[in-house]
Amino acid sequence: MIDEVTITSLNENALLVSFGNTIDVAVNQLVTSMALTIVNKPFSGFIEVVPAYSSLAVFYDPGVVRSKNKIHTTAAEFVTSYIREILESTGKIRDHSNARKIEIPVLYDGEDLALVADHHRLTTDEIVSIHTSTLYRVFMIGFLPGFAYMGTLDPRIEMSRKTSPRTSVPAGSVAIAGMQTGIYPQASPGGWQLIGRTPIKIFDTAKSTPCLLSSGDTVQFVAIDKDLFDSLNEY
Amino acid sequence: MSIEILKLGLLSTLVGSERIGFRNVGVGSGGAMDTFAMKVANYLVGNAEQESVLEMYFPSCEILVRNTELISVTGKGFDVSVNDTPISSWKPIVVSKNSILKLNVRRNGGRAYVSVTGGWKSASWLGSFSTHLGVQAGGHFGQVIKKGAVIETSRLSNAKDSNAFNWGIASSELEKVYTPANEIRCIESIESNLLSQPSRTAFASTEFTISNTSNRMGFRLSSSPMKLDKPINLVSSAVDVGTIQLLPEGNLIILMADHQTTGGYPRIASVVKADLPKLAQLNPTDQFIFKFITLHEAEKLLVERQTQLEEIRKSCLLRMRN
Repeated sequence: MIDEVTITSLNENALLVSFGNTIDVAVNQLVTSMALTIVNKPFSGFIEVVPAYSSLAVFYDPGVVRSKNKIHTTAAEFVTSYIREILESTGKIRDHSNARKIEIPVLYDGEDLALVADHHRLTTDEIVSIHTSTLYRVFMIGFLPGFAYMGTLDPRIEMSRKTSPRTSVPAGSVAIAGMQTGIYPQASPGGWQLIGRTPIKIFDTAKSTPCLLSSGDTVQFVAIDKDLFDSLNEY
Repeated sequence: MSIEILKLGLLSTLVGSERIGFRNVGVGSGGAMDTFAMKVANYLVGNAEQESVLEMYFPSCEILVRNTELISVTGKGFDVSVNDTPISSWKPIVVSKNSILKLNVRRNGGRAYVSVTGGWKSASWLGSFSTHLGVQAGGHFGQVIKKGAVIETSRLSNAKDSNAFNWGIASSELEKVYTPANEIRCIESIESNLLSQPSRTAFASTEFTISNTSNRMGFRLSSSPMKLDKPINLVSSAVDVGTIQLLPEGNLIILMADHQTTGGYPRIASVVKADLPKLAQLNPTDQFIFKFITLHEAEKLLVERQTQLEEIRKSCLLRMRN
């Protein structure tokens, strides 16, 4: 797998480690464990990492890298060789100790639930039962603050995104698109099929750790009724 | 102790430092469009660079300064006056109480920054005063500043009318940052090699125009359509301020301060960090060309810019003490 890795400059303060162009659990596990290794053992000048489906961006301050690491080449070359060393060790580490399992309650009353059921000739109850019986991996967070791209969806309920996106999807909406599922943390335009809503704030600006989920987490959706939704509602 | 916004531009917000360390949860760095002007505005009034500064955008604005304050106005594109007497930007200015500060658009720049000793009173969110409009946090209640708003200063001013400052930022320092205005340097990025040969040639020789739909998230450019060698569907991956993406219809977008943290469009080049302040001062309909340089040169330019800012900071501090 390491043979397929490329390390390219996104710009002069970030390198992108790419493991191909794919949505794959094993590849994403490599991304997550590499991110963790770098964060736990940062180099002078390291700023932050951005894990995605099959790539990891490593942001750094070239000025600090150059002055603190006594280098004779560019900061980019220094960070590249640092990443190569990490890759050598990450290849062997398949364990990712940060994996947490998080349960998210959902009231399945989404505007597109019936549409999805019709599309697959299933009942809405069957859609709910299939959506709640899979454990999802948080592949990455992006698009909006706290928007977790999760997968992979059971092929029996897969559905492509809407041809014409909604101008505003309410915060807390639980949605599906292709082989992915996600939750809209804020109201936003969006093209995913809405199947339900969670009463839990998955991104809360009032908290010092605002985002409930992290890349690599495992998510279990749990169906709840309207009464429980109302009593848990944080929005 | 406070100012009142009597009249103002389209999108004025309080900006502080970049918000660092939260891209992994989808929160970008945000902050000022022109980080050079923003930081220097702070240095000129004796502040640390992360203090909250007012970012003003087209068209003109009028501010009632209720108490005597030490302020500075930096950036480009505005004529500045106090009670209709022209004043210089890029220098410390004492504004007497109940004066009217006016910024009139001149159109050879796009954004002005107004700083005050101690900074404007702002909400801090995730380590930065910068306004995040998406989640409505930081800055002035997480919002765009509206007409009639009263903005307090963070601390009492000890500025006196008798204080006179006869120094400012030398024009030679500004020329290093803002000229030549119609040339933006860039380097290759992740998907540069996917661009077709004719498009690559066009990219390096075309005069691009900033489109009217540009905003704090990105500058859209108009040109003849660019193409990849063959179409590709990319899974989402990291982007950054300055990343130049090729949109499906063949136009380019340059991501600016409030960009999303990840994206799925090909990243065909990246504006060098040292030229982002210059780019931020361009307006819709302005034209420019891209000039490719090497990664090594871009890195050197960035370090030179950091050194330049550090020297400006020290020299402001020294002069402020004397």
